[in-house]
Amino acid sequence: MAPLRRWGPVATLVVLAVLPWGLARHQLSLLTDLLIFSLFALSLDLIMGYTGMVSFGHAAYFGLGAYGSALLLIHFEVPIPIALLGGALGAGLVAWPVGYISTRATGIYFAMLTLAFAQLLYTLAYKWRALTGGSDGIAGVPKTALWWGGPSLVEPRAFYFLILVSFLVAFVLCRALVRSPFGRALQAIRENERKFATLGQDPRRFKVIVFVIAAALAGLAGALSAPFRGFASPEAMFWLLSGQALMMVIIGGIGTLVGPAIGAMVFVLVQEVLSSYTEHWMLFTGAIFVLMVIFLPGGIVGAARRRFAA
Amino acid sequence: MSLALVVDLILNAIAQSALLFLVAVGLSLVFGVLRVMNFAHGVFYMLGAYLGFTVVARSGSFWLSLVLAPVATGLLGGLLERTTLRYIYRRPPIYQLLLTFGLALVLEELVRVVWGPSALPVDPPAGLEGAVTILGAVYPRYRLFLVVLGMVTGVALWFFLQRTRVGLVIRAAAQNDEMAACLGTDVARVRTGVFAAACALAAVGGVAAAPMTTAYLGMGIGVIVDAFVVVVIGGLGSIVGSMAGSLIVGIAQTWGGFYFSEAAMAIMYLVMGLVLIFRPWGLFGEEE
Amino acid sequence: MPPILETRRLDRAFGALRAVADVSLVVERGELRAIIGPNGAGKTTFFHLLSGVVRPTAGQVLLKDEDVSGLSAAARCRRGMSRTFQITSLFPELSVLENVRIAIQAKRGGNTRLLGGRALLARTEAGAREALGFVNLEDRAAVPASTLPHGDQRLLEIAMALAQEPDLLLLDEPTQGLGVEETAATAALVQRISRERRLTILLVEHDMDVVFNVADRISVLHFGRLIAEGSPAEIRRNVEVQQAYLGDMD
Repeated sequence: MAPLRRWGPVATLVVLAVLPWGLARHQLSLLTDLLIFSLFALSLDLIMGYTGMVSFGHAAYFGLGAYGSALLLIHFEVPIPIALLGGALGAGLVAWPVGYISTRATGIYFAMLTLAFAQLLYTLAYKWRALTGGSDGIAGVPKTALWWGGPSLVEPRAFYFLILVSFLVAFVLCRALVRSPFGRALQAIRENERKFATLGQDPRRFKVIVFVIAAALAGLAGALSAPFRGFASPEAMFWLLSGQALMMVIIGGIGTLVGPAIGAMVFVLVQEVLSSYTEHWMLFTGAIFVLMVIFLPGGIVGAARRRFAA
Repeated sequence: MSLALVVDLILNAIAQSALLFLVAVGLSLVFGVLRVMNFAHGVFYMLGAYLGFTVVARSGSFWLSLVLAPVATGLLGGLLERTTLRYIYRRPPIYQLLLTFGLALVLEELVRVVWGPSALPVDPPAGLEGAVTILGAVYPRYRLFLVVLGMVTGVALWFFLQRTRVGLVIRAAAQNDEMAACLGTDVARVRTGVFAAACALAAVGGVAAAPMTTAYLGMGIGVIVDAFVVVVIGGLGSIVGSMAGSLIVGIAQTWGGFYFSEAAMAIMYLVMGLVLIFRPWGLFGEEE
Repeated sequence: MPPILETRRLDRAFGALRAVADVSLVVERGELRAIIGPNGAGKTTFFHLLSGVVRPTAGQVLLKDEDVSGLSAAARCRRGMSRTFQITSLFPELSVLENVRIAIQAKRGGNTRLLGGRALLARTEAGAREALGFVNLEDRAAVPASTLPHGDQRLLEIAMALAQEPDLLLLDEPTQGLGVEETAATAALVQRISRERRLTILLVEHDMDVVFNVADRISVLHFGRLIAEGSPAEIRRNVEVQQAYLGDMD
């Protein structure tokens, strides 16, 4: 396990940096998608794995980020980094009141509340035609430049590296976060919320803060997806995407940093392979997921750890 | 506002509440006894509607479908509980939610495979077509039937749980697994039974809804989110809570829909937010 | 100087049951006070009322002359009251050291540091190790709390409370579930905390040997009421107390 720990990250980085030159256009786009989902799943694991708050409405913030960056890019043609920042901030801002109310509840109640709020936001995106384009969404989102007058990001490889860098920055940020005093407090809350409260601090404050951070990171993922795909649509806020993010986290390994990325990879690849055989791929993904929940609760990372430890 | 309109709105609210109640009460009961938040519950409602469509198409009898579809759905529900959920009761509750989410995906896709993607219309049964006039309001007969169906089910369920031996066992199991086991109850069988019964109830709702809404993909998720709101407002595990919650949500949806149609959903969530701020465990739930 | 803790006509009812009825008592600084009583006397509820886990139906709790009756458990902790639970309450998957560190940071602030905070972690680590040393758990600092044997888990919870450097320490049945030797060791530890740290300790305990050995003063609850208070010798002689416990026998 030790050499894997040391060289694994380096090797992964090298592969991710070189891969774009060895992939066909479609494959590169798949890899880019994968990174976006990895970031999205990672943000969910911050609240779900590290704090023990299972959100069933995380897609809402992905979608908010997507709409935010799409609107900024279409109407103001701002450079991409500004659109990303705008999307992330917008998502975090909306998450604040939602988190404030939802954290009054815990466990299943919390999950249901986040789902309800997400459905509310989804309906809003669906009905507010003037702003969101309703069910058609916003199409023609441009890939603008890196800064005003700076290099263009239209070329797929350039955009891939933008997303790779965004993902790496977010990953390092999350890593620092879970190892910080705040991050350890989150884990303590996950372990025993009542004890934490009797030690002198209100756990809810921590939960709201991490909920907003996770939403902003999900918003960043969404903000990346809009220019990458060229559109933002209500589908990005749908409960199905929230559920899929949960699946990625569980499949990869809850409460770990690399788990969500591995889960996203498995999910995207399985979907890619299955969908080339059948349009009903969800049937099999769902069944695989059910089996994993029953037999592999720690996910792939959990199983690997047990194997290496034994 | 004319009297006729008021009557119309009230009846609509109650009809809507009745359908919600059929779904929410099962969700609530399953949570009370199994401690499982069943994400797939709405899919069983949808399954009821589709099975109902098929039975009506083959036999021509709505009433037969109101019996057959729930029985079939209940059997399927019981089977799924025995083959999947049973193995993970000791895990943190979130795993059960995730498992039922997986089941929901599978079932939803199965429905698409079997019945295809388009919505399927179901005719109301003979005798319940057309409308009647009540206090000046012209009102569809079929919706009146829904009002009656919801009330009858609610009262029957209440009597069953409060006045029968099986009902007593279920209530004991809902309060305390170990205590129920001490009473000599086979807790595993109670769980399967309650799960199956809840699925059947949801299917009754689905069959009854189809003549109004048609049978369509996605009706499951629509109703499950509403039902979640209902049980959060009413309190998990409480039948009276489900009833009150259904009424509140039903009224919010129909009246809100009338006055500010775009904001109907927002009103529902506003009510939920208020309840949670003042009684986080729901109106009739117990603090845990 | 005002007493460190005072309750005035404290009352808590659960439905028709008055678990704590009209209890007024005063705990002076530096005292080691034990609360005893037959089963169901309301000791645990009384403790929850003091620490803020349960709210009173009537009456007041005063900490250093300040009325804290309306404050949350967290706020009372910040004002100098730390407690342990009858059923061990830890963060099982975190390391032993981390458990103590969370306790220190919760009290002194710093848990909200989002990134980095290495210097802070190092500073609190020193304090955490010191507290662990006091209860003899220093060499187990790195293992997850859940892997400790039951006795050590109880000690860890005491270390977490100690590390917060409270003015008043509430110990809820610290010997619960311990063997004879461990019980004696814990009793000695409680006495050592009282003497070396000059801490005021309030102790709920069912083991009479422990109570009569370590306590300076004893308060006796029976059916939620305070029926006696005094030195161990006085309590031993008290007829009402004897009857209360005899009544419990049959």
